[in-house]
Amino acid sequence: MRKFLPADQLARDERFNTITMQDRFNDPRSALGTGDAATTTAGARQKFRLTPERRDASDGARGLMHGIMVGEIQALEGAGRTCWDFDTAGVAKTSSTGAHSAGAAQNPSGDMDVPFALKLDMARQCWDEARHVEISIKLSDWMGTEIGQFAENTVLFAAACSSDPVLRLAGVNCALEGLAIDVFTTMKEFGDLAGDPFLEFCEDWMLADEVTHVKMGSDWLRKVTENDPERRKKALDFQAVVDKLFSYGGTRSDSDESPIGLARRFRALAGFTDDEVEAINDVSVQALEERRARGAAARASADPASATST
Amino acid sequence: MPITVSPETYTYVSFDAEVIRRIADDLVRALGMQDRTITIDVDETTPLVRTRLTIDGDAIHINADSGAFEDTRLPRQQSEAATATALGRVLLRASDRLTGGFGEAPADDQLTLAQVAAWETYCIGRLERLGIAVNRQRWLYNFRNRHGFTDGGDTAFDQLWTNGGLTWGELCAISDRALALKAAH
Repeated sequence: MRKFLPADQLARDERFNTITMQDRFNDPRSALGTGDAATTTAGARQKFRLTPERRDASDGARGLMHGIMVGEIQALEGAGRTCWDFDTAGVAKTSSTGAHSAGAAQNPSGDMDVPFALKLDMARQCWDEARHVEISIKLSDWMGTEIGQFAENTVLFAAACSSDPVLRLAGVNCALEGLAIDVFTTMKEFGDLAGDPFLEFCEDWMLADEVTHVKMGSDWLRKVTENDPERRKKALDFQAVVDKLFSYGGTRSDSDESPIGLARRFRALAGFTDDEVEAINDVSVQALEERRARGAAARASADPASATST
Repeated sequence: MPITVSPETYTYVSFDAEVIRRIADDLVRALGMQDRTITIDVDETTPLVRTRLTIDGDAIHINADSGAFEDTRLPRQQSEAATATALGRVLLRASDRLTGGFGEAPADDQLTLAQVAAWETYCIGRLERLGIAVNRQRWLYNFRNRHGFTDGGDTAFDQLWTNGGLTWGELCAISDRALALKAAH
């Protein structure tokens, strides 16, 4: 089986259509009018938090649920790949036939080998993600969504393609599973407010697993880089990049303008410090401001008269 | 009466004005609204999914955000099913308002979320009987979010979905009964 599979080679059947972050950035409508400050007057800012009070609440929840489902598929693929792509520390790099494995050929020094216990944690995560995929499919069905009904952005798996396992832990377990804590908390609250008998319950169970995944990631990151501050810094920088990427447009923050809230309590349970959560909020709020500025500039260039309405 | 669609060409999305016109024309004929002047304005600068209706005498004006006609699988591409559903919903609402029985219905922007969901259910059920492909579960979920996840709420949904000749008062009575059950739940 091939090692280090690129995101564009992920196996998907004909129901799915995958898009990249680049496709999303290239949609000119996202700058011109996403329905935020673009459609309000005199600086009034709309609440965009996904709650049942939103007029498009049902479709918004359906879209987010589908995003969760494909995210779970990619998280399963990413954790599985981390088990497979790297050799196990302390295990001889020759097969029973005496041939060197592909991983050994790519990494003869063994500095990218991972401890067996880390692989066990990733294997456990695979089981969790597989269960989450099943739960998400059933929830999507309950909400009236077909598998593949929304385009799939493969950026989560892309974050799991690093050749350094520590960067994968930083990007996927710390940044993206951290985002999952925010998303699940928002959906859990949505289900609770709407009185949905299944949504709140299912999200709560999945949320508990995500807290564990983040904790596993941050614990292993610290352990593996204990004597390598440069590698740790690189990993934390990568985590910040992924956090910023997923804060595009201010998707999640404490502000009601963000569809997804920042789940401070559950993030604390996962081991995030107050300063780390504050840093994520700052990045998201900055992204929100950037979106407003981009929108105003785009509208001014499309119709100079409209520039005064923001 | 001819149906006017604007713009004729699109920059930000790959939409076809002729396809929108054909779908609208099929719906107008099926709903017996050929004597109305209909204009459809598409705002291609926003991916939102809103449609807004203005009735001025015999003229029906529809404003649609591009997301209303978009294929959620293929961003910026047009979906004939989404276009038919979005236009069908708004045309049926116009038809209800114009043909009587809905005179006391508040203006669209004054409707409660529960009233919107009930009227949507009543419209989509009729669209399905016209042969438009719809996902019933999607609309049931929408109705449940506004009227509660109860057996009585689901019964109300079925009444709205299967009916074809309700008045605004009858529609509201069904919605209110479901809301009362939700409150008592």
